[in-house]
Amino acid sequence: MILFPEGRPTKRQSFEEYRASGGYESAPEKFSPQTILEEVTESGLRGRGGAGFPVGKKWEIARTTPTTPRYVVCNAGEDEPGSFKDRVLLEHHPHLVLEGTILAARAIEADSAYFYINETYADCISRMTEAIAEATAAGYLRSLKVSIHRAPTVYVAGEDSAALEVLEGKAAKPRQKPPYPATAGLFGKPTAVNNVETLANIPLILRNGASWFRRYGTAESPGTMIFCLGDEMNSPGAYEFPFGTPLRQLYDAGGGLKNGKTLKAILPGGPSCAFLTSDQLDTPLDPESCKRAGTTLGCGVMRFYSEDTCMVVETLRIAQFFARESCGQCPACRMETSMLATMLERINEGKGNPALFDQFQKILDFNRGKGFCALINMPGLPITSALRLFRDEFEEHARTGTCRYALPARADV
Amino acid sequence: MASKYVLVCQNVDCMQRGSGELFQKLKDKLAGSEDIEVKSYICFGGCQSGPNIVLYPQKVWYCGVKQSDVEDIAAHVEGGPEVERLTQGIDPTLKDLIYQVLDAGLF
Repeated sequence: MILFPEGRPTKRQSFEEYRASGGYESAPEKFSPQTILEEVTESGLRGRGGAGFPVGKKWEIARTTPTTPRYVVCNAGEDEPGSFKDRVLLEHHPHLVLEGTILAARAIEADSAYFYINETYADCISRMTEAIAEATAAGYLRSLKVSIHRAPTVYVAGEDSAALEVLEGKAAKPRQKPPYPATAGLFGKPTAVNNVETLANIPLILRNGASWFRRYGTAESPGTMIFCLGDEMNSPGAYEFPFGTPLRQLYDAGGGLKNGKTLKAILPGGPSCAFLTSDQLDTPLDPESCKRAGTTLGCGVMRFYSEDTCMVVETLRIAQFFARESCGQCPACRMETSMLATMLERINEGKGNPALFDQFQKILDFNRGKGFCALINMPGLPITSALRLFRDEFEEHARTGTCRYALPARADV
Repeated sequence: MASKYVLVCQNVDCMQRGSGELFQKLKDKLAGSEDIEVKSYICFGGCQSGPNIVLYPQKVWYCGVKQSDVEDIAAHVEGGPEVERLTQGIDPTLKDLIYQVLDAGLF
């Protein structure tokens, strides 16, 4: 596999081991900014943070914006519930991420790079601190200034423009776009904000070539993705698979659900995606196939729900999550997220008038796109898909306030 | 059991503009009317025009309400005239959406 030789994180790589594997052989004489841009564009690499924007394009925009200085931000804010791929990469391959960041900075001719790391990731912060010291001593950073900043653990803090606000010393609130960070980002300067996994791919693409990278994945989505499986599985953890791998293969790799339970539903891309049902286990894991199946892959957080899960409670938890995590600066988002959660609470408690069912889509349609960031659009897919796929459960709850499933609610969404 | 509701938004914007005090004043003012209940509401989405108060089932939306408007609003709820000066400035589509939500029992 591309990032993890064995498809799973196994060994915490040292500086010497990284160099022995071909690391840091990407001097400017070998890879000029233009070469890097061309190779990354040719590889078809898209951002792994959830939005899937073409990396080469983002860098090209930053590089051709005639304002200096420019900046690179390695985004390890990682507040998506259930996601831990950034943590795993930083702990196991800090030099890979660091070299990717150095190359990104060279590509857009930036003179500073920021590591924006979830404040609870103490081990990642110490691994990256050590890696920066080692690479600096060996002269690999050249004139690039690199620093580490702690990201607050609120959901929106991982959004790219909110990350820039935090780096500027302000509260984690998304900015209105445009302008996008690539043209006016940190301190108003062109900034490439890239996810950890995205940057980890860069040294390997340059080392092995775009055509090698394209041997993995699909034509539209080349490469691999790290998927995070939660503790409902027999073997939870991070799994790297090429795009296009059937969902079933990932499910099997995770050893299936604990206690031999039967699969009922899947949330393939974190709390903002649509539910799939167990008969969709053959859906290929790539953005295009997931879109055709009516859902999204997000940043690769997989949730599998067993036969005895109450989908009303699970959907309510997702709605409550967004209501809680809405930063509050956009009135429409605050209204939408709190109203959706309240409506689901009513249905869950058996206080829901049947007419409430028709209001979800109207509230979503009214508020679509009215916020500064994507959060306002996030509760829509999980809620509407759950209402469509598990309607009988919602109706039973609305009628009786209870449910035929005994499983207690999960500790997180 | 009340049959008329005075729904007072208690979300951030409206609260910053004094809806907490409005809520209390209306509650005190209408305490004697068994038929009327003053209730807090999560949000009507008309944050720029707050504080917002909606009378239901009359479906009258008062926005930009000030403390000095409490007497007139209470009088309207108890059968007096509508306070027309407070009824302008809310998007009709939003009104329609909120009234549908209220009709569906969400209050």
